[in-house]
This record gives sequence, C-alpha cells and structure tokens, in this order.
Amino acid sequence: MVKLSAKCLLAGDPAVGKSALAQMFRNDGAHFQKNYTLTTGIELLVKAISVPETSDSVEFFIFDSAGKDLFSEMLEKLWEQPNVLCLVYDVTNEQSFNNCAKWLEKLRAQAVGMHIPGVLVGNKTDLVGRRVVEQKQAQEWADKHGLEYCEMSVKEMKNFEAPFNILAKSFYQLYKEKVEIFHSLA
Amino acid sequence: MRSAERRLSAAGAALLVATSSDPEHPAGNVADGRSDTFWTTTGMFPQEFIIGFPERVTISRVAIQCYLVRTLRIERSVSKDPVDFEECIEKDLQHTEGQLQMEEFPLPAFQATHLRFIIKSAFDHFVSVHRVIAEGTAEDT
Repeated sequence: MVKLSAKCLLAGDPAVGKSALAQMFRNDGAHFQKNYTLTTGIELLVKAISVPETSDSVEFFIFDSAGKDLFSEMLEKLWEQPNVLCLVYDVTNEQSFNNCAKWLEKLRAQAVGMHIPGVLVGNKTDLVGRRVVEQKQAQEWADKHGLEYCEMSVKEMKNFEAPFNILAKSFYQLYKEKVEIFHSLA
Repeated sequence: MRSAERRLSAAGAALLVATSSDPEHPAGNVADGRSDTFWTTTGMFPQEFIIGFPERVTISRVAIQCYLVRTLRIERSVSKDPVDFEECIEKDLQHTEGQLQMEEFPLPAFQATHLRFIIKSAFDHFVSVHRVIAEGTAEDT
C-alpha cells in the first residue's frame, strides 16, 4: 500500500467554482455552499482518494487559489513545487475560458522542465441555456495543451470527483514510471 | 570503506524514521550497503530520513547515492534521542541524467548519534536514495 502525496494547484478566474469544487470534494458531496465567498490568498484542503484497481492512494493537498489578480504575487510563492494542476472555468463565461491560457502559463512557470499532470474542468453545466463554451472547443484546447478534460456541475453534485480521479491516476502513473527508472540505475 | 561500513552496521546503525514509505522500497534500503535497492519518496518535498547509532560515533566521511535530488541538507545530533539537530551542510546537487548521483560531502570529522537527511527540493516529483555511507568509528567507552 503506497500513499502518494500531491500538491494540487487549483486555479481559474474568480467565481468559476474553485472553492465550491474543493469543498464538495472534501466533504464527499455533503454540502453545496450557496453563498459566494471571495478567496483571498490560498485555502488548503487535504483529502486522500484511492487509485482505481490498486490498493494504493493519493493524498491531495489542494491549494485553492484566489482568482483575483490582486493576490497573484502572494500566490507565486505558495505555488512552488506543484505536482498536479486543476484549472477551472465556467461554461457560461467565455472570458473565464479564454483566461485559462494565462492561468496555465503561470502555473507551468512554477515547474519548468517537469511534466505536471493537469486537468481542465468546465463547471456549471447545470446552466444549460446560458452555456457559451462548447465541449468540443474546450476539449480541443485541453488536448493541445496536454491537459485532460472533464465537465461537472458542482451545484448538482455531478461529476465533482472526476477531476481528482483523473489527477490521481496520472500522478500514480508517473510514480510507477519513475520507480522503473530508479530500478534501471543500479 | 567496507570495513568501516561494517563497523557502523555492527554498531547497530539503523534507519529510525522516514517521511515516505512504499513497502516495496522502504527507507531501510538506504542503510543496507547496497546500491541496487533504494528508498523512494512518494510525494511533496521536503522529505527526510534519520539514521541512528546506538552510541556516539565519530564520523569522518559521509556520502550518498541518489537520483533526482536537487537540494540536500544534512544535520546531526549528539543527543540520545533524535532531537536538537544542527546543520552540517546544505548542498545543491547536479542532475545526472540516467545515472546515480554520487555525492561526497567534504566534512571535517564530527561526532553524532543521529544523522538526518533532508531533501528540500528535487528535479522531479519523486527521488530515490540508494545508499548512504557514513564511515566512522565508535567512541571508546
């Protein structure tokens, strides 16, 4: 039984649902925060999930980051040495999707030369009539930038575990590959 | 070198604690005198392990064989318990693609009951430590 630990940077524009996702995930879907609270700086949440088809697990240290630019200088320090990325946008807000490029660039700058598994997450799929970013468009952008893609509705408690399952699997895969390399060194 | 290592292991040098554990690659592997077995870290840095001696020893040489380690700090303690550590050295290692990092630490002889190795940062998500060599002699008591 291996327990990996991963620093997960959670980023994206303000009010796309980063904190709602993090809290929902931690509380196993027990509670949807209806009131919006602006995150200033960082909130840290810790939760372990098991890796499917193994007896191993990944403990996530989720750094839920402020979406407002105002706090970005502070973030850079707290973002050091990341292991995985979770980039969230709002499917009803085109700007939040367009800004993902900027967020991704900032996140990747934290670990130049290292492969950092990441997932792009489209939230608020419950607002069907207001949707402006299509799945195909987002999926293509994610592919192009080496990210996995998934959609969810935190409000409807739909699929909120998917991003973390994807990240756990990728991180676990990285570990296995690395151990193979360690074996080959002696 | 071998005899010195044997002296230490005969003196009961043992791994006391480590921050990561994969049962297939336990931290005890750093002190088994072999390069083909290793300890893997399993996540975020810093990561550390502590080696303890049953009594105070004088150490004249410290070396490590590892992979992907960037910043390494070595501390020692002369207490009976693994407390009150003080820094011996902190060093940035070079990345050696595809082969083990073999690092010698230029330290004057010093006394210790415990040695603590802190991996502060790395060139990748995970590192391996294959062997720690601490040559020295037990004090005459």
